[in-house]
Order: sequence, then C-alpha cells, then structure tokens
Amino acid sequence: MESRSRVLFLTRSVAIAALACFGLSGCAALKWPWWGKKADDADQVITAEQAEVDDALDAPPRVIDPEVERREIKRPKIDTENWEVGGYYGFLSVEDFGTNPSYGVKAAYHVTEDFFFEANVGRTKLGLTSFELLNPGSDPLNLGNERRLTYYSLSFGYNFLPGEVFIGRNLAMNSAFYVMGGVGSTKFAQDQKFTLNFGAGYRVLPTDWLTVHIDVQDRVFESDIFGTNKLTNNLEARLGVTVFF
Amino acid sequence: MLSVTTRAALAAALLVAVAVGSAVTRAQDAATPASVLTPKQQARAEKQALKQASRDARNERRADAEREELLQVFVAEPFLELRTGPGRGYPVTHVVIRDESVDVLFRRTDYFKVRTDNGIEGWANARDMMRTLLADGSRFTLDLGDRAGYQTHRWELGAMVGDFDGANLVSTFGAFSINDNLKVEISGSQYIGDQRSGYMIEAGAIHVFAPEWRLSPYITIGGGLFRVDKDAQRPNLVDRTDQSAYAGIGARFYLTRRFFLRGEYKERVIFTSRNDNEELREWKVGLAFFF
Repeated sequence: MESRSRVLFLTRSVAIAALACFGLSGCAALKWPWWGKKADDADQVITAEQAEVDDALDAPPRVIDPEVERREIKRPKIDTENWEVGGYYGFLSVEDFGTNPSYGVKAAYHVTEDFFFEANVGRTKLGLTSFELLNPGSDPLNLGNERRLTYYSLSFGYNFLPGEVFIGRNLAMNSAFYVMGGVGSTKFAQDQKFTLNFGAGYRVLPTDWLTVHIDVQDRVFESDIFGTNKLTNNLEARLGVTVFF
Repeated sequence: MLSVTTRAALAAALLVAVAVGSAVTRAQDAATPASVLTPKQQARAEKQALKQASRDARNERRADAEREELLQVFVAEPFLELRTGPGRGYPVTHVVIRDESVDVLFRRTDYFKVRTDNGIEGWANARDMMRTLLADGSRFTLDLGDRAGYQTHRWELGAMVGDFDGANLVSTFGAFSINDNLKVEISGSQYIGDQRSGYMIEAGAIHVFAPEWRLSPYITIGGGLFRVDKDAQRPNLVDRTDQSAYAGIGARFYLTRRFFLRGEYKERVIFTSRNDNEELREWKVGLAFFF
C-alpha cells in the first residue's frame, strides 16, 4: 500500500515536473518545425565559410554607408513690395489766391508696418486775389502768366487704426488711417518758401498692390508777397491712387 | 513686380475656374447614370469627384508655384498664424499646423504674404517665419530690421533739415554701403533764405568709424553742383551754376527697427566764376532708414 502510493506520488511528480517544464518554458521550448535542424546547420556552415572568406580578404569592418542625397533646393529671392508710387488729384486752397485744382505724384517707402516716408511733388494754379477781382485787368504782383504754384514735401507718416472695410457680404478690403508731417518747399510768384506740412489720411487697399487714398494736408509757410510777413495755412484735400511694387 | 502679382492673381483665378469647372464636369459625369445609382452612391461619387478636383487643383497650384519659383517653407512650430493684412492690427483668420507648408509670395515690411497648399492666402509675421524650415531642413533666414542690420546693410534713405549760411535747408539722401564702414551717397538739397535760394546736387563718400556702436561718428567728403535761383545781393548774376566741394563730420544714432538719426556739419567751397571762391557752412539733422 505504502509502496503503491509512493509510486503514484512519484509518477505524479514526474508528470507535474514534465508539465511545468513544458508549460513554463513557453513557446521557446517548441522549436518548430522540429525537423528543420539540418537547415540551421547549413546556415551556420555558410556563415562560417563567409567569415573565412572575409578574413581571407582582410576586409575593413562594415559600417553603414548612408547614401542619402540631401535635397538641393533653390532659394528664390523673395520679392519685397515696400514702395508705393502713384498720383493724386484734389484741391489746394492758397491763402489770398482762392481754391484751385491741384495734382501731383507721390512715392512712399513703408519701413515698418507702422511708419513710412513719403515724397510729394504737386502743382496748382493760383486764382485771382481780391484786388485783381475788384480791378479787372490789374496785375499788382507782376505775375503775368506765371500763375503756377509748385510744391514738394518730404514727410514721415504713421499708420494707425489698421483694419478692414466691408463692402457687401463678400468683399473685405484692408484699410488704415495715417497721420503725416514733413518739410518741403513751395514755389510761386518767383519765390521759394520753406514749407512745413502736416495732415491725415485714409488708405484702402482693394487688392494687395492697389491703394486708394483720401487725405488732407496743411501746408504752412511764411509769405511776404503782400509786403508784410505772415504765416499762411494752405489746405489741400486730395484723392490718390497708388500701386505697391 | 506688379506684373508678377497680376499674373499670379490671374493664374490663381484661372486655376480656381479650372478647378470648379473640372469639379462640375466630374460631378456631372458621375451624375449621368443617376437613374441607376442610389442616392447614397451618388453622394459618394460626388464627394469623390470633389476630392479629386481639390487634389487636381492642389497639384496644379504646386506646379504653378514651382513654375513661379516660389519659396516653400515648412511650419516647425505648433502653428503659423495668418492674418488678413500686413500688420498686427489685422485679424488672424487662419493657422497652418506643424509640418504643413506654405509658399512665400512676397514681403511687405515685416510681413510675408503666403499661400497654403489649400490655396488660402494670408500674411505671416517675419518673426514667426523665422521659425519655419526650408525643404532641406535648414532654417528660413531673413533680413530683419534690427541692430545687426544697422551695422550691415546695403541701402539708406533719409531726409534732413538744417541751416545753410542763414537759409533754411531741406535735404534728402540715398546711400549705398560698400562695406560696413564705407558708403557712397547722393544727396539733393534745397536752401531757401531771404537772401538766397537755390539747390545743390552732390555725391560723396562717408567713412563710419565704428558702425557697431549705437552712436557712430563719421567723416564725409564730396562735391557736386551748386545752383543759385535767387540772390538778393547779386540780382543780375549770370553764371548761376557752379561746382562745389565739401568736407564734413557727423554722427549717426540707431533708434529702433530700421530707423536712425543722422546729424552733420559741413564746410563747403563754391568754385564761383567770380574772383573769389565762397566758403559756406552748413549743419543739418534728419531721420533715415536702412534696407
């Protein structure tokens, strides 16, 4: 009885040990296909032969050779569009000479999103003074046919209130208000006058390169054309169109 | 450059037209056997046609961009903001996410007009653009108006006012930098006084001693033409245009961004056709920018 139970225990323990070996070792214990041992041997033989050949050739150690070609890219020059050039038409009121149509050209360089420089050259015709109106045919200032006034100004401007204007449902255009001031000269009646100018305007851009301006400038200069020195304010309102390039 | 912009706009319009046209024809092609297709199948076909059309349009845009030789940059930050206009006041309407690319159309001040793969256009700030990558993985570099630019740049433009022998002086100049120290300049000035008025057109050279300093002194020499329009003391002046030569000292002071102040004093000799040459003094200050 005793020996029988021992036998039983032993057989069980052997079985458990066998199961444990088989089960716990996982799949690694199963080499599948188990008949493929010969192929492995063949591989080993080949690698051994290869190693012998390599040794024989005394080849340098193999390193990974990165045959990756870096993509060559062209770097096209980026176009800068800071210049703005165009013309304007408006009215200039010259003190004592009435208000007359004026026209001119302007060029601006936008240095930053906020600041720009602008140069203006414009021209208008002088109207009749009160004296000339009251005494038709008189020419007390000896102007003759030289009733032309030419001015230029070099200004510095500041864009403020940038934004968009909406026309209808589908159209939005960029816009900005700006103030500007500068120095220049005004020439009329055979004399040059040092001129200060300041003003404000509104700019709308229907496209990225086209702008429409409405602005008002005051051109201030000292005039002694009537005998006494006096500071004159000459207001100009104008509508301009410019293009960026 | 206008023409390129116009061409780009026209090309874009054409592409859109082609894309819409092809989408419509495709949709029609797909819709012809509508009687045999169930509504679901029809919807799927239309969707595919639209997808194909947008793919075609994208490919054409890409081809177009390559033809135009636009620079392509890749977003390396989480996203790139696109605004409606070139300024911080314009609203952000789009973002381009990381690894997507944009084509750079042109630049205005410190903003770049870019176009995404989907054809959406907007303005990206230069500082954001500096964080994008080129197709070869290198950083997109650009000329930013800053202190380094003040030291090394190509062009300068500015306007100055001052005094010329008792007359008001208005002057404008443009200068080209040969190197950081040496510049050549062309200037046009007008003097307007009670006694005398006229103008000067001159060319000269400027040597800046320490361009890396914020306040950098310089010397200048040059010469040109001196024109007298009005001279109260010599009303019957015959020869009104003479040659002039000058030497001067000055200083430039970097303000911010692309701006600097410039002030100078000049001694000028006018080689008149009279017996004696004239020596006239001039000082002026002004504002200028570089680019």
